[in-house]
Order: sequence, then structure tokens, then C-alpha cells
Amino acid sequence: MFFLKKAENWFVWIFFPLALLLPLFLEQNEFYVNKLTSVVIFAMFVMSLDYLVGRCGMITLGHSMFYGLGGYLFIMIAPEYEAVNFWVYTFYICVIAALIALVVGVIVLRTSGIYMIMITLAIAQMCFYFFSDSVEFGGNDGLFIFTKPDTSLFGLSFFNLDDPMHFYYFCLLSLFNCLVFWKVVTGSRFGRIMEAVKDNPARTTALGYNVFLFRLISYCMASALAAYAGYLFALQYGYVNPSMMSWQTSGTALVMSILGGMGSLYGAILGTVVYEGLHYTFEHLTQHWLLLMGSMIIAMVMLFKSGLAGVIDNLVERRK
Amino acid sequence: MSESPLSQSPSQLSQANLAEADDTSEAHAISEAHAASEAHARSESTVVLETEGLCKYWGGVKALDNMSLRFHERSLHGIVGPNGAGKSTLLNMLCGTYKPTAGRIIHNGDCINDIRPYDFARRGIGRGFQKTNIYPQVTCLENCCIAAQRRVGGSFNIFLPKNSSQLLEEMADQALAQVGLESRRDEIASHISYGEQRQLEIAMVLATAPSVLLLDEPMAGMGHEESQLIIELLKTLKKDYCIVLVEHDMDAVFELSDQLTVMVNGQHLITGSVEEVRDNSKVKEAYLGQGDEVI
Repeated sequence: MFFLKKAENWFVWIFFPLALLLPLFLEQNEFYVNKLTSVVIFAMFVMSLDYLVGRCGMITLGHSMFYGLGGYLFIMIAPEYEAVNFWVYTFYICVIAALIALVVGVIVLRTSGIYMIMITLAIAQMCFYFFSDSVEFGGNDGLFIFTKPDTSLFGLSFFNLDDPMHFYYFCLLSLFNCLVFWKVVTGSRFGRIMEAVKDNPARTTALGYNVFLFRLISYCMASALAAYAGYLFALQYGYVNPSMMSWQTSGTALVMSILGGMGSLYGAILGTVVYEGLHYTFEHLTQHWLLLMGSMIIAMVMLFKSGLAGVIDNLVERRK
Repeated sequence: MSESPLSQSPSQLSQANLAEADDTSEAHAISEAHAASEAHARSESTVVLETEGLCKYWGGVKALDNMSLRFHERSLHGIVGPNGAGKSTLLNMLCGTYKPTAGRIIHNGDCINDIRPYDFARRGIGRGFQKTNIYPQVTCLENCCIAAQRRVGGSFNIFLPKNSSQLLEEMADQALAQVGLESRRDEIASHISYGEQRQLEIAMVLATAPSVLLLDEPMAGMGHEESQLIIELLKTLKKDYCIVLVEHDMDAVFELSDQLTVMVNGQHLITGSVEEVRDNSKVKEAYLGQGDEVI
């Protein structure tokens, strides 16, 4: 219903069952499960960026700010030694992140293109240095989350955040929900106008739409989900660190999104998995893995103009 | 010039006469008589859009100076002038892209100087661009759906599927039918011909249900046949809309306009019926120059 394109359908039917089964073979090895979990979480973050960049035409290098804020917000608002409700705090964090995005967006969205990249970068760096220099938030070392939230819903507890397997499956479900959410958004009336805004803002204004408002809403939604991903990341390892907010995080996410095929949404998952896969492989091969990684990415971007999603699209098209 | 199907319609006698004005001297005489009666009728018809002493200065450059014009309901107001006369500047202010330096824009009795650019379209002031300005990646129907969606609402609903409204599609289809692009309905906009893209652009403006159409050189870069199509289209449209047409194709403007304004260097030169403008010596001097005795 949500995955109308053939290639997308294929991907969803192959990736998610595979991801569901994979941990069963890795059960003895917690390291791999954790690794997979962080890939899945990061894919959520990349997907929100992919929506912004690919579907709204807003290129930002400051998206990691919201990723980091997701973790820091939890530390700020949750009591230190008391288990809070996971769902309630998820809601809080998404709403607060969206409100912050509202304020930031009003400033940032007055610009576009290269200027927007610069101003988002500047704001994110300000935020990064604020947290890395602050004593209360642990400075460069970050902070530990001593008590993980309790996941009971109406008195029923479905899973335990401390169990890596449970957490992995929960993150996978979240990723699937994110994909469905973005598909619904892009397929909605809002999505139609957002697409129009991306293609031709002047024309869309002349047709009577408030372009700024559409951009702002998209920015808030993407930021809220980026914060959600950051929140899950913080819960996984039980600590937050300013490096989550560094521009390298944004840059990596942008590379993953481009690698996967900008704007394809499912490409974000593809890009993250492939990037992390390459990262892991090269890291074990050689100390100079960045060199290999860089040339690999240059090659892929040059070969596949519309990313890995574009390659899959072509394959599926040709099969028909 | 062949007779258009339109000029055979009895209710459109005046336009038919204008259209045939080039053909015979007899028709020319009748058309003058009609123009006079039309000018009389126009003074009574409603003014939809009006400018009062409109100015636009870019630093020290006066792009537009003290422009006072009235645009009437159900008529076509042509605006001509040499390059740099300020025609596009005027149009850009009428649709809210530029803010006037001085003067007022009045729509249906309200001063609309300070409303937001997107509110112009909401008030029914639709605008076509000088360069083709469509969404090239999507189908013609979708182009019109984007335009019409503001009327059905729900544009901020992120959960409402975009193809859920029959009404919306009907509106878009109707707009396509108005410009005669029904057959291109499901084609990607970038795949249709240039002339058709210009038609599509007008369809998009129509899909917003405007009362005023601001058209900036809809015939620019077109061959004769394509231009003729647009001329026929505009003849039909001016029965229902107030159209402000900026155009370089003088034949077309003379054929279509109920009223004509000539601008030179940001200044208003003359406004009047086609005949008045044609016979004006200042216009000939400033714009038409020599060798235009044909018209």
C-alpha cells in the first residue's frame, strides 16, 4: 500500500525479513547485534536527512545537532535515578526537538542552497561547542544515562531495553515505521506541495502556497525524527557524547544518503548499510581504511548517478 | 487569416470583427464602430484590479514611474513597450513578487500592497511567467492538481493521500480541457512540446480559479501556428476573466486587446483602444518607428 514502486517493494521484502533473521545467527555474539542496532538507528537518522535533502531540497549540514539533542534532551528532562516511561519521554523528546527546530528553522529557512548549508553548520557547531565545553553536561566526555527508561505501556511491558536482542528488534520496527511514515508524508497532499516547492518555489508561491511554512513543517518533522534516532542511540550505549553533534556526523549521514540515492527514502537504509559494511570491512583490512573508503565512495557516486536505489530501480525496470 | 470557429459565434461579434480587422477595409470600418461601443460599455463594467501611482525604483533607476491603470472584468488589457519599458516589473508587482516603492494596488476595492506574495493567488490573481515555469518532472494532470489543490484544501495534511479526491482531479481535468490539453493529460510535462508547455502553464493558472490572469509573453519563442492557438485560447478566456497581457507580438496584441497600454522607459505613454493607440503619433515615434504602415 505504501510501497508503490516495484523496486521499493522488492527492497522492503528482502531487507526486513533478512534483518529479522540475521540476529538469530549472531545470538552468541552481542557485539554484532549491537553493531547492527547502531546501523539501524543511524539509518533512521539518515532517512530523516534524506527526506530533507532529497524530497524538500533543503541541504543541511547541521542535522546532527538534532541527533545529539535527542540524547541530551533525555538527560536534561529525565530524573537521574528514576526509571521514567519510555513512550512518554519519546513523545517529549520529539516534541521538544520539533519546537527547537521551529525556532532554528525560522532563522535557517530564510536562506537556501549554499547559504543554508553554512548557517545550519554554524548553528550546529555552536550547539556542539556549547555541550562540549559545558561542565554540567560532562564536557567532551559526555554523560552516562544511569537508569534506562521503563517500556511498559498500559501496565504491559513488551520488551526490555537492556536486552540487546529486544532493543535490536525494537529499533528495526522503528526503522520500518519511519519508512512508512515518510512514505505516507511524501504520498500525501502535503507531500505533493512539498515536492512542488522543491522543484519550483517561485511557481508554487505564485499558485498561492506559503512555501516557507511547508519547508518549516518538513524541517520540524525531520528534526523530530532525527532526535528520536539520537535518543535511541543514547539508550543503546547508555551515554551521550558531543561527538554525536559534530559536523562529521552530519557529513557521514549526507554521504550515506547520497550513496543510497537521494530522496528515495529506502535508499537511506541501503546507503547506511553499505557504508557501514564497507567501513567495517576496510577497518579490518588495513589501518589506512579511510583511503580505501574515500576512493570507494568516489567510485560509487561517479558510477551510480542516482545512488544504489537508482541501480535497484534500473534492475527492476529491466526485469520487466 | 482563416476564420476561427470562435468568430462564428454570434455572441462574439465584436471580437470577430477585431480579428478580421486586418482582412478587409469593410471589416475595419465595422470594427471601429464596435470599438467605440465597446469603449462605452467598458466604462461601466467593473474594475477588478487597479493601480494608483505605482512606482518601483531600483536604487536610482526608475523601473516604473507613476503608473495608474485600470483593469476591467471580462476584458483583455494588453501592455506593450520596448525592452526595459518596465512591463515585467509592473506584472511582478501586480502579482506580489516585488513590493511597490510607492503607489497602491487595489483589487476588488482593497489595497493589497502589503499582503504576502502567496496571498495574491488566493485572492484570485493568477500569474503566468515569461519563461516556462511548470513542474517538468510530473504529468500535466499533476501539474494542474498542484495548482488546484489549494482550492480543495488539506495541503497541510500529511496523512491524507494525494489522490484521494475526485473533485481535485475533476478541477485539474477541467483546467486542462479549457486550454485543450486533455490528450496530454498523463504525459510528463517535460515531454510535451514547448507550445503545449505554455498552454499547460495557463492551465495551471486557470486551475487556481483566478479572476485576474497576468500573462507575461505567453507567445514568446513560438511559431506562427502555436501562437495562433494561444491567441484563440485567450480570445475564449477573455470572455470570463480579466486578462493582463504583456506581449511582444504586436499582431497578437492588436488582435486581442480590448484596451492597450503603451509604456516607454517605465513611463506610461498612452492607454486606449487599439485604434487610439495605433493612430497615436507619440506611439509611432517611440515604439513602432518606421515601416509599420501595414498595421
